[in-house]
Amino acid sequence: MFFYYLDLAWRSIKKTPLLSLLMVLAISIGIGITITSLNIYQMANINPAGERSSQLYEVRLMSQGLDSWDEINPQITYQDSFNLRKSSIATRQSPMFRTGMAVQTDDDNFVPILEGARVADSDFFGLFSVEFLYGNSWGKQVDIDPAYQVVIREDLNKEVFGGENSVGRTIYLNQKPYQIVGVIKYWNPSPKYYDVNNGAFNDAERMFVPFSLAPIEEFESWGNNQSWKREDIVTYADRLASETHWNQYWVELNTPEQVKEYRLWLSNYIEQQKLIGRFEMPEAKADLSDVATWLKVNNVVPEDNKVLVGLSVLFLIVCLVNMLGLLLAKFLKRAPEVGVRRAIGASRAQIFAQHMVEVGVIGFFGGVIGLLWAWGSLSILSAHFKLEEALTQLGMSMWVLAPGVAIASALIAGLYPAWRICSTNPSVHLKSQ
Amino acid sequence: MLQIKPIISTLRHNKSGPLLLLLQIILSVAIVANASFIINERVQLMSRESGLVEDEVFDFTVYNFEEGVDYTAQNSRDMDIIRGLAGVKASTTSSMTPLSGGGWSSTFTYGQSEETAKDAPQAAIYYGDEQMVETLGVEMIAGRNFYQSEIESGHPNTANLAIVSQAFATVTWGDEPAVGQTIYAGGYGEQALKVIGVVKTLQGAWVNSSHLDNAIILNVELGLTSFNRFLVRAEPGLMTELKPQIIAALHKENKNRVIDGFTMITEHRKRVYRDHELMATVLSMMVILLLLITSLGLAGMVMFNIERRTKQIGTRRALGAKKRDIVSFFLVENYIICLTGGVIGALVAVQLGRQLMSVYSLPQLELIYPIATVVGLVVLTTVAVILPARKAAKISPAIATRSV
Repeated sequence: MFFYYLDLAWRSIKKTPLLSLLMVLAISIGIGITITSLNIYQMANINPAGERSSQLYEVRLMSQGLDSWDEINPQITYQDSFNLRKSSIATRQSPMFRTGMAVQTDDDNFVPILEGARVADSDFFGLFSVEFLYGNSWGKQVDIDPAYQVVIREDLNKEVFGGENSVGRTIYLNQKPYQIVGVIKYWNPSPKYYDVNNGAFNDAERMFVPFSLAPIEEFESWGNNQSWKREDIVTYADRLASETHWNQYWVELNTPEQVKEYRLWLSNYIEQQKLIGRFEMPEAKADLSDVATWLKVNNVVPEDNKVLVGLSVLFLIVCLVNMLGLLLAKFLKRAPEVGVRRAIGASRAQIFAQHMVEVGVIGFFGGVIGLLWAWGSLSILSAHFKLEEALTQLGMSMWVLAPGVAIASALIAGLYPAWRICSTNPSVHLKSQ
Repeated sequence: MLQIKPIISTLRHNKSGPLLLLLQIILSVAIVANASFIINERVQLMSRESGLVEDEVFDFTVYNFEEGVDYTAQNSRDMDIIRGLAGVKASTTSSMTPLSGGGWSSTFTYGQSEETAKDAPQAAIYYGDEQMVETLGVEMIAGRNFYQSEIESGHPNTANLAIVSQAFATVTWGDEPAVGQTIYAGGYGEQALKVIGVVKTLQGAWVNSSHLDNAIILNVELGLTSFNRFLVRAEPGLMTELKPQIIAALHKENKNRVIDGFTMITEHRKRVYRDHELMATVLSMMVILLLLITSLGLAGMVMFNIERRTKQIGTRRALGAKKRDIVSFFLVENYIICLTGGVIGALVAVQLGRQLMSVYSLPQLELIYPIATVVGLVVLTTVAVILPARKAAKISPAIATRSV
């Protein structure tokens, strides 16, 4: 029966090509606009940590003094980073910040390039499930006894060493020789959740150097440096001992007990720091945010995006109302024909089903064409605005969502017209023939 | 004359079609009014003058990674090299680039005594030399530029002269002349800066800041860190040519540095306003498509009504109605729906605008937008109705007598 209705639907669509085209156009444009804005929203809203999201926590500490910042700051000080490393409760943990150096090789013809680098502990790679192509992270020992070792990303390895296994070779960072201990596979989480200071959709660093080297090599901070009090910072040692917030700190806690234990440790730490005159605020506290919370804390999804999604959903509703009106017009015009079908034995349910199938077909076409609209507008937007690719890729879910939403909304819009047509009295229409 | 009574009774007789149209118009007005309001707000943001000759200025950075380099001496050698290149009109070292989204800013203190000292508003700080004004292409409207002999070098705390933007001068001193005033970097009395000139317009780096138009130029060639930024003004379109020349010349002087980040101010502008432009573009797309769909829907409904009422129209024509009467019947019918929908839609729009304002940081919807939308919709209705209605008017009176 379904295929018979499909056949009927197709005939009916062909009979009024202009009206059908209008309906498909309306619903496809509505779907196109909605999918476009939903896609940008969803891509910004993605949680790149996946199932690890609830096990990774960013640590925040309310270390500021009285009459300064009101709220807990997203970053922490170097001295707190240094102290937090002493706890062994977390499964993995790493302080970190962004820096950059000039890269040179043994090859004299190699033009130096300036590269961003992440300063972190060896746990960084385990924390964020970064996979290695060659070699491995520097050893845990290096986190305590600094060594000139570096991990680079696959694409940098290609640029500098032509893509061969470069483990054991030397590159020069700001003219100091570093030994390559590992090459990671291409890894560029979007949003760059482990540090959103330089923009949540910026590229991840392509080099990683030990945190323990920071006091020796005096790595400059390429991120935000936030101060709540005026301090004379002249040397790097001043900066390390200062109250400036410029580090991020991530821990991995796998069980609720572990979280509880770590929270307790943190509050003890704050009490202890209060004794030496830091953490002056009476409500000084520590805060742990898992990845999902962290993205919310940092407002990774811009407000404009939300406004767009809201408006485009309203837009889709307009398209549906538009379609509803046209459907009603079309179906009622066909009332005499339906009257005949009813008179020769079709039940109301059958008439209803027949018309719903027709609506579904229109919805399906609308969805498919809408997907094309969305794909087109996303490519135009990404080309014109040089948007991050991460935001303009049509997500896999959209390929299913678009026709699904189109058919579903078309069916909802079709309910009333189909009900109207199947509930009319056949005799009325038969008489006027 | 306008036969409003029979039209209303027709509408009441057959409710669902007109009701749907009404709903569609209400929603359209609400969306279009708010969207065009946001579009206009963004377009206005983007059309603010930066004061610069944007298509002639570009910036780049030099990263001196060799240990033991005297940055001040290095910068002044680099400056000479850059100024010696053909095609360079003017250039300077700079602490920041206008419209780039990053840079230096601070508040200053001013006043007659420590007790009456006040905070001047936040302003972007351009540290540079006597060629800064010419490089940016900003217009001096009072006082004078720095003399070459007045330029300090090295640390920012050696600055003692200032050129301020007019916006900054007005906010700080009102109608008093700015030239000759003194401001202090830090508290009152700390590092006095004498204002010697005023430029008409000079924007800072942060386009979403309310202090965008406040800017100060201070007389220091910086030599503080391994990073140094240069601003260059060249003939338009010469950047692509100058870039390799600059890199080669500076590398010849000293190989151990990275020279990078060549960007035109026009590119900075595009990047820094990107989100606003994106929002305006997507919303414009939405408004145009929405109006298209609404008018097509309207035309579709009228066409359908004509087909359904063929006999009635024929009868009316047979009874003496003129073609004009038929057209005006359809027009008035749709005007009634459109205006009713428009008024309700305008109320919904204001409500929606209020919601948007309270949840998001959007300004309050101005009333002119819903009103303009309704007017636009009336025009659209006329266009969408008049074509099918003309067709209806052509229905021959003879139709009425047929098939009855």
